[in-house]
Amino acid sequence: MLASVAPASSDNCLTRNDWICGKYYSSRAGDLTDALVQHVGIVVVSVLLGLAVAVPLALLARRYRKLEGVIVGTTTALYTIPSLALFSLLVPVTGLGVTTVVIGLGLYSLTILVRNILEGLRAVPADVRESALGMGYAARRMLWRVEVPLALPAIMAGLRVATVSTVALTTVGAILDYGGLGDLLVDGTRTNFKAQVLATSVLCVLLAVVLDLLLVGLQRLLTPWTRTEAAR
Amino acid sequence: MHTSLVRRTLVALVAIPLMFTAACGGGGGKVVIVGQKFTEADIMTQLYKAVLDNAGYDTSVKNLGARDIYLSPLMKGDVTISADYLSSMTEALNRKANGDSAPKVASADEQATLTQLNKLAKKDGLTALEPAKAEDANAFAVTQKFAQDNHLTTLSDLGASGLSVKLGGNSDCPQRADCQKGLEDTYGIKVSGFEPTGFGSQATKDDLVHGVTQIGSVGTTDATLDKLGLVILADDKHLQNAENLVPIVNSDWLKDNAKAKKALDKLSAVLTTADLTAMIGKVDLDRQKAADVAKAYLKDKGLI
Amino acid sequence: MTHDVIAWFRDPDHWRGAGGVPTLLGQHALLTLVSMVLATAVGLPLALWLGHRRRGGTFAVNLTNVGRAIPIVALLSVLSLGLFGTAELGPFGRSGLATLVTLALFALPPIVTNTYTGMTEVDADVVEAARGMGMGELELLRRVELPLAMPLIVSGIRLAVVQVWATATIAALVAGPGLGRIIVHGYESFQTAEVVAGSLIVAVVALFLELTLALVQKLMDPLPAGSR
Repeated sequence: MLASVAPASSDNCLTRNDWICGKYYSSRAGDLTDALVQHVGIVVVSVLLGLAVAVPLALLARRYRKLEGVIVGTTTALYTIPSLALFSLLVPVTGLGVTTVVIGLGLYSLTILVRNILEGLRAVPADVRESALGMGYAARRMLWRVEVPLALPAIMAGLRVATVSTVALTTVGAILDYGGLGDLLVDGTRTNFKAQVLATSVLCVLLAVVLDLLLVGLQRLLTPWTRTEAAR
Repeated sequence: MHTSLVRRTLVALVAIPLMFTAACGGGGGKVVIVGQKFTEADIMTQLYKAVLDNAGYDTSVKNLGARDIYLSPLMKGDVTISADYLSSMTEALNRKANGDSAPKVASADEQATLTQLNKLAKKDGLTALEPAKAEDANAFAVTQKFAQDNHLTTLSDLGASGLSVKLGGNSDCPQRADCQKGLEDTYGIKVSGFEPTGFGSQATKDDLVHGVTQIGSVGTTDATLDKLGLVILADDKHLQNAENLVPIVNSDWLKDNAKAKKALDKLSAVLTTADLTAMIGKVDLDRQKAADVAKAYLKDKGLI
Repeated sequence: MTHDVIAWFRDPDHWRGAGGVPTLLGQHALLTLVSMVLATAVGLPLALWLGHRRRGGTFAVNLTNVGRAIPIVALLSVLSLGLFGTAELGPFGRSGLATLVTLALFALPPIVTNTYTGMTEVDADVVEAARGMGMGELELLRRVELPLAMPLIVSGIRLAVVQVWATATIAALVAGPGLGRIIVHGYESFQTAEVVAGSLIVAVVALFLELTLALVQKLMDPLPAGSR
C-alpha cells in the first residue's frame, strides 16, 4: 500500500533519514532562520523579564533575612512545575500568544538569577560596606555605587547561566507553537527526523555560544577593574 | 543568504514588540485554526487553512501541545476552528462539564458519538461540523512476520491463538477498557507484560521491531508501519471509539459564516483514511512540508 | 480541584506496590543520586585540578556551560533511540543508561563552574604562604584550597542536586522509573489532579533538598558569616 505513497524516485538523504542532509538545509533554510530569529527574541525578552523580577526579589531577600528562605524556596518550587502544567495555568490569563511563553520562561529563569544575585551581594566584604557607611553613603547610594558593582561579576555569571539555560528551555514553548527552534526540534524528535534534530540542536548551541560571548563582552565593559585579573 | 539573515534579524527586532501586541488583540475577521502538535494535526490544520483561504478568509494556524490549551480560547472565540477527533473531543468536553472521572459517553458508533458531542458542545458555544470519512482510531499493531507465522489478521485471531504477548502503549493503557483491559476481557488476549512507551511513539514501534514487545498501540493512519514491517490487527469487535476527523467551530462565528461551513463540509465528504495516511507518509517518510502536501491534495481533488 | 488532589493523596492504592509513591520516590532518589555521583566523579576532580593550576579552567567552564543549551528532552530522546539504546539497566529501568548520562551532563555545569571559581578565588597570597611553609601541592589542595573553596563547591552541588531532582521526571518520557511516571500517567489519562499531585511531591522534596543543603553549605563555611 505504501509503495504508492513513497515513489521509488524519492531516494535522497531526506527519505534515507540521514543525520546530515544538504537537501534538508536547502529546503528548510527559511524555516530555520525564522525559528532562530523567534528563538533569539524569546530568549532575550524572557531573560530580561526574569532579571527585572529577580533583582527586587534578591534585594528583598537580603534586606529581610526571614524572607530569604521563602523567596529562594518559591523560585526553586517554580522550577519543578512541569512546563505543560505551567502554560495551561497561564493561558486562561495571558492567552495563546508569545506572552505566555515569555512569562513562563522568565519564571523558570528566576531559580538561577535570584541565587546568583543573592550570592553576589553576599560576597561583598563587610568591611567594604562598613567603610562606605562610614563615608556617609546612604543605603540606596551604597547599593548602586558600592554593592552592585562589586556583585556584578557574580550577577553576570548568573545571567550567563540563565541565558544559556533559557536557550534550551525555550523549546518547551513549542507547546504554544512559540518555541523558536523548539517547534522544529519537537517535530523532529517525534517523527524521528534526524537531520532536523541535529540541525536545530546545533543551532541552539551556536546561539548559546554567541549570546554567552556577548554577555562576556558586556561584563568586561561593565567591570573594567576585573580585566587585568581575567587576562592572566 | 547573509544579507537576508541580517534583514530577517532587523525585521525580528521590530517584530518582537509586535508579537506581543498581536497576541493581545482580538481577531477582527481573522480565522485562527488550531490543532495539536503531531503530523496528522499539522496536515489537517493546513487542509482547513487552504480551503478557507480559497474561500476568501484570512487564516492563521497554531499547532499546540495539548487540547486542554485551546479549549477555553475556542469557547471564547480567540480561536475559531480546531482540527479535532470525534470521540477524543467528546470526552474532553465531557470531562470539562462533568469532572475528570465522568463516565465515558463516546463510543464506536459514529452517529451516536456525534450526537453526544453536539449536545456537550452546544453548552460551550461550540459546534461540530460534518465529520470526515477519514478516521484515526486507536489500533494495535504486530510485526508482519508475527502475523504470518501465527495466521493473525484480527484481534480475535490473536485471542484464539492463546499466545502470550507483551504490550506497549500509553501509561494508562493497563486500566483502560479500550486498551489492555479490553484486549484481555473482550478478545481474551493473554497480556504478559506492559511497556509505557506511549501511543504510536517511535519507541513503541521500535520495541515491536526489536521483539521487546509483540503488540503495540498505534493509530490507524500511521504511515510508517509498512516500512517498519508492522501490520494492524483488525478491531473486529469494535472496542475502539470512532475517531473521525472533525472541525470544531466557535458557534457565534459560525452564524455569519455559512460559506466556511460549506467549504469544510466539502473537504470532509472527500477525505478518506487512506488519503490521510498517504499524506502523513509524504511528511513523515518523504519529509515534505505539511502545507505543500495539503495544497497538492486539495488541488488534486479539485477543492481549491 | 484541591479536593481531587487531596483525594489522590488519600487513596491507599497510590502508596503501595510497584507504582506507589514510596517505590517511585526511591527510584527517583536513586536516579538523582547516581547521576550526581557520576557528574561529581567527573566534574569535581577536573575542576579542582584546573583550579589548582589556575588556568585552562575558563575553557572547561564555558564548554560545560554552553552544553546547557542543548534541550534536555531532545538529548534524552536521541541518546535513548540511538547511541545508548532503550535496554533495561537495573533499578534505572528502561533507557537507564541514556537517562543517567543525560542527567549527569545536566548536573555538570554548576559543579564545574562553582568548583573552578571557588578554587581561583582562594587568595593567591594565602596559597603562596602555604607553599612557603613547605606544603606539598596535594597537601596545599587538601588543607588550604579545598576548605576555602568549599562553600562555593557545595553551592554548586546544591543547585545541581535540586535541578537534577526536578528534571529526573523526564525518565518517564522514555518509559523509565521515578516520580515522572505519576505526571505522565496523569497527562495521558487526563487526570489533572494526578498531574498536580505528582508535581507537588517533586516540588516538596526539591524544597527539602534545597533547605537541607543550604544548611550543609552554612556548616561547611570555614569563615563564619561575621568574619567576612
